[in-house]
Amino acid sequence: MVNKGFAKHYYLMMLPGLIWLFMFSVLPMFGIVIAFQDYNPVQGMLGSKFVGLDTFEYMFSLNDTASIFFNTIFIAVMKIVGNLIIPLIFALMLNELRHMFIKRSIQTIVYLPHFLSWVILGGILLDIFSYQGPVNQLLSAFGFDPVLFFGRADLFPFLVVGSDIWKEFGFNTIIYLAALTGINTALYEAAAIDGASRQRMLWHITLPGIRTTVILLAVLGLGNVLNAGFDQIFNLYNPLVYSTGDIIDTWVYRAGLLNMQYELATAVGLLKSVAGFILISLSYFLAYRFTNYRIF
Amino acid sequence: MKTTFKGAALAGMCLLFIVSGCSGGTNESASNESPSDKTSPSEPADPFGAYEEPITIRIGQVVDPTDTSLPEGDTPLDNQYTRSVKENLNIDVEHYFTAAPANYDQKVSLAIASNDLPDAMVVGAVEVRQMYESGQLEDLTEVYENYASPTIKQIIDGTGEIALGSATFDGKLMAIPNIQVQADGVHTLWIRQDWLDKLGLEPPQTVAALEEVARAFVEDDPDGNGQADTIGLSGPDTNGHLYATFLRSTNNSFGLDGIFSAYEAYPGYWLEDDNGDTVYGSILPETKEALAKLRDMYANGLIDKEMAVRSDASELVAGGKSGMFFGPWWMGYGAVADAIKDNPDANWQAYALPLNENGEYTPHLGTPTGTYLVVRKGYEHPEAAMKIVNNYLKEEPTFDESKGGLGMYPLRIIYSPLDTIEYSLKAIREVLAGNKTPEDYAGDEKYPLLVSDLETVKIVKKEPYDDMDIEHWDPEADMGIWSRIYSIMVGGAPLADTEYTGVYSQIYSQTSLMQQRWVNLQKMEDETFLKIIMGTEPLDTFDTFVEDWKSQGGTQITEEVAELATQ
Repeated sequence: MVNKGFAKHYYLMMLPGLIWLFMFSVLPMFGIVIAFQDYNPVQGMLGSKFVGLDTFEYMFSLNDTASIFFNTIFIAVMKIVGNLIIPLIFALMLNELRHMFIKRSIQTIVYLPHFLSWVILGGILLDIFSYQGPVNQLLSAFGFDPVLFFGRADLFPFLVVGSDIWKEFGFNTIIYLAALTGINTALYEAAAIDGASRQRMLWHITLPGIRTTVILLAVLGLGNVLNAGFDQIFNLYNPLVYSTGDIIDTWVYRAGLLNMQYELATAVGLLKSVAGFILISLSYFLAYRFTNYRIF
Repeated sequence: MKTTFKGAALAGMCLLFIVSGCSGGTNESASNESPSDKTSPSEPADPFGAYEEPITIRIGQVVDPTDTSLPEGDTPLDNQYTRSVKENLNIDVEHYFTAAPANYDQKVSLAIASNDLPDAMVVGAVEVRQMYESGQLEDLTEVYENYASPTIKQIIDGTGEIALGSATFDGKLMAIPNIQVQADGVHTLWIRQDWLDKLGLEPPQTVAALEEVARAFVEDDPDGNGQADTIGLSGPDTNGHLYATFLRSTNNSFGLDGIFSAYEAYPGYWLEDDNGDTVYGSILPETKEALAKLRDMYANGLIDKEMAVRSDASELVAGGKSGMFFGPWWMGYGAVADAIKDNPDANWQAYALPLNENGEYTPHLGTPTGTYLVVRKGYEHPEAAMKIVNNYLKEEPTFDESKGGLGMYPLRIIYSPLDTIEYSLKAIREVLAGNKTPEDYAGDEKYPLLVSDLETVKIVKKEPYDDMDIEHWDPEADMGIWSRIYSIMVGGAPLADTEYTGVYSQIYSQTSLMQQRWVNLQKMEDETFLKIIMGTEPLDTFDTFVEDWKSQGGTQITEEVAELATQ
C-alpha cells in the first residue's frame, strides 16, 4: 500500500511531459482533416468543404509520390545501417587503444561535427565538392575529369548518407564506448588465462557483451526510418537531384509552404504518419522480441 | 450519463460560437462606422491628406538583413521613409512581419494559410487570387476611385484594361496593381567589353558567334591571371530560373532567355500558333531545338558548369569570373555595381543580342503588372495603404538612397510608365548633348525621377558623353546615382536603339485548373529542361515530357487558357 502511494508521485512527474505531448503532438493531429478538404484558410478547418478522398487520388496519380517514399526509406535505411556499423567498428578500435590521452583526443575530435548545424556544414560540403573544390582538384591530379557532385542525382543519396555518417559517427561511438565499459573485466582476465587471443576476446566477449545495445539502437532507428533528415537535405539539394534526393519532409515543405498546396501536403504528411506508426509498432515488437525491451 | 454530458458540452460549444460570433459582429460594425464618420462623403477625399488623429497600419515587409545602408540610429521602422509617411500622412507604420527577400513569399503564404494577416502587404498575382477566393481581401474599388493619385491613375490607365483587369474579380477591384517598365521584361545580353577588346572579338550577333566568344572567354584567359578559371556564359543559381515564364515574366537575371528567343522558342509562354490556336511554348519543337543547342554548349563547357547548384550566380559577375549573362536593364544596381567596386576596369555593356536566323531581335515581353497591394478584409482604413503609395510616388525624388535603399519604403510598389527607361534615356542624351536643359522636363509627374536624373547625370558621367565604356564614368563620385544612370544609359540603350519585335504571352495569370495542377507541371518542366541541358538525361526526354505534360492536365489547361485569351 505504501508503495502504491509512492508510485503516484512518479506518475505526477510525468504530467508536464504529458501536457507538452498533448499540446504539441496530439492537438496538431486535428490538422489532418485538411487532407480531406478543399482547404480555405479563412473558413479554416471547421468551415472548409469536405471533398473525401479526392486529394489522395490525385496524390497517387503523381509520379512524385512513389519516388519520395522510396527516397525517404532508401536514405533512412542506409543512414541507420551506416550509423550502426561504422561507430561500432570505430568504438571497438578505440577500445583496443591503451593510451588514454590519444583515445580521449580522438574521441573529442570525431564528435565535434555533431554540434555543427547543417546550415554551416551544408555550405562547407558544397564548397568542398564544388567544381573548383579540393575533391575535384584531387581527382584531376590523378587524371580524372572533374565531377559536379551535388548536381548528380545518382550520387546525391550517397553523399547525403556519407556526410551524415561523418557528422554523427563520433557521437554514436560514445554510446558504444559506454556499453563496452559495462562488460565485466573478469571475463577478459579469465579468457587471458585460458590463452585466448585478442581476436578471440573480441569475438566471444566484447561483441556478445554489447549485443543488446546494438540491437536496441537498430530497432529504435527503425521507428525513425521515415525521418531521413530534413535539415540536411534542405541545405544540400537543388532541382537537379529532386528525383533521388527529395524526401517526404522536403517535398511537403515545398508543396505546402512554397506552393500553397495545403491539401496535398497534408495528405502526404498523413501517409507518412501512418507508415511511421506501423514502423514504430513493429520496432517496439522487435525490441521486445530480441532484447526484452518494453515500456508497458 | 454519458449522453447528457455530451449534449451539455455540445450545447456549451454552440453557445460559445454564437456568443463569439455576435461579439465579433458588433465589434466589426462598430469599427467600420467610426472611420466612415471621419471621412464622410461630404468631405472630399484627398489622396495626399494627413489624418487628424494618428492611425496605425501593420504591414508585412521585406527587410534585408545584409542591407547596411541605413545611417547610424535609423531602423527599418524609423528612417527617412517611415518619417515621410508619418509627417505627410500622420500614419504610424508597424511591422506585422518582416522577412528576408528570399523568404518573403514563404512568409506571405504562411500568413494566408493561417489567416493571420497584416493590414496591408504587397503580393503576387497568384496570392491575390488565392486571397480573393478565401475572402481575405478588402474591396478597394472605392478606395482606388477616391484616393489613388491622378498620376497613378494616369499610369495605370496607360496600360488600357490590362492592369486593373488583372486585379478585378466579379466586377470589384480587390487589389491595386503596380505598373513596371517594359524594360523589366526584356532580358538583354550583358558582356564584358574589356574581355572582348582584349581578345580582339566583336559582340556576338548570332548564337554561333556567342559560342565562339564564350569559348574564347573560357580558354583564352581573358582576365590575364594565368588560370583557366573564367566562365563563358553564366547560368541560373539554385533558386534561379532557366527563363522567365508567364507567371514571373520580368526581372529574370542569369537565365538563358536570350538563347531561347534567338531560336524563337518561348518556353513558359502561352502563344498563338499559325492557326490562331493557343499553344504552350515549352512543348513546341523550337524549344527542343534551343535545348539541344544549350545542351551542346553546356557539354562544351561554355555555360557555367555549376549552374543550378551554385547558391548565388551574381557572385561570379561581382568576382570577375563570368564574361556574359542575360539580365534586365537594372543590373547596374546589382551584380554589375559590385563588379566595379572590385575591379574598376570591369566594363560591362548590354546588347540586344543574339539575333535569330533572320537577323532579328525577338525577346519575350513581360506583363506590365507583377505585384499587387492588398488590404486585409476588415481593416478600418483601407485608404491609408493607397495614401502611402501616393506619397511614395510624390516624394520619390526627395529620398536619398544612400540613407537606406528604396526597399525600406513601407508597401513600396512601383509605378513607372512602360516606356520610362527609353524615355529617360532619350532625355538624358538630349541634356548631355546640350539640346535641352533639365528644366525642360520639369513638371512631368509621370516620370518623377527624371529631373533629378538629368541634374545629377554629370556627377557620374564623364566626357565624352556618347562613349559608354567604364573609363568614362565616375562611380566613386556617387554609387547610388551611378547605379541608376548606368542602368538607364547602358542597360536601357539596347531597348531604345534597337527595332525589336517582342513576344507577349497570351495570359499572365492563372486559370482555375492551374491552381491544382500547375505546380507539378512546372516542376516537371523545370527539372526535365535542367537535366537535358546539363546532360543527365538524353535530349529525347523532351518528347516524353511533352506527352506527360499533356496527359497530366496540360491539355485541359490549354483549353482554359484559350478560352480566357479569347474573352
